[in-house]
Amino acid sequence: MNKDELIAKLKPIIAPYVQDEEAFKNLTEDTDFVNDLKINSANLVDIILDIEDEFNIRLENEDMEQMLNVRSAMAIVTSKLNS
Amino acid sequence: MVGNDIVDIELAKRQSDWQRPRYLDKIFNLQEQQLIYASNEPTIMVWKLWSMKEAAYKLYTQVCPSRFYNPKAFTCNLKNGETVRYKSFLCETNTKTTIHYILSEARLKNKLTTSKVINLENISHMNQGKTFEKEALKLFATERKYLEKNLKYAKTPFGVPLIYYKSKKYNISISHHGKFGAIAIA
Repeated sequence: MNKDELIAKLKPIIAPYVQDEEAFKNLTEDTDFVNDLKINSANLVDIILDIEDEFNIRLENEDMEQMLNVRSAMAIVTSKLNS
Repeated sequence: MVGNDIVDIELAKRQSDWQRPRYLDKIFNLQEQQLIYASNEPTIMVWKLWSMKEAAYKLYTQVCPSRFYNPKAFTCNLKNGETVRYKSFLCETNTKTTIHYILSEARLKNKLTTSKVINLENISHMNQGKTFEKEALKLFATERKYLEKNLKYAKTPFGVPLIYYKSKKYNISISHHGKFGAIAIA
């Protein structure tokens, strides 16, 4: 899966929790879940669970620690898929 | 230094389904899950423990400037008052539960904190930042008996709000969820 395919898979997972639609339209790898998309921090857990279900992977607490933006979510998913 | 977190109970019920599979396990350790299941109001206990963790995280990141997401590593204890531990960091919390919101304040041992809750229901998204600034300056001026015109509001690169009084700076904490905002000063 290349980067664009991965972003295309992540976008519908993130969408239900987004509070700033304008920032979501302009989503890039640098987009921050909390600062840009204004996602509630309790909903970050939902995103993590949805990612686990979608990619059939399991994320540990250490993986979650840096899950604050699109770039790190992509890196974590990629590393899990390749392991 | 102070951390705070407010949960709009009605919004939390709509926004999060804590009963979905694996949800609790991502955030709460076994002891915390036992507190939730033993509670008469498990939903309230979920958000009480959550707000304690969030408030403690905000205080921790004032002590050690950083940013990360690991709510499970902040462990709550409700014996002999409320405390939250993260690695070797330990703080006290004080949580107030009303029918509308849950508000936690986290503080270092024996420090006093003051909180104010503001209603943001009729304030547009654009003006919420300004409202926090105005209310924070007012609260700080009243509590410390300083003239508001000598105070300045700012944020650190990690987003922690600060109030400057002349050359001194004081960390404060703000939290927003749904209809409610909260400001805490130490």
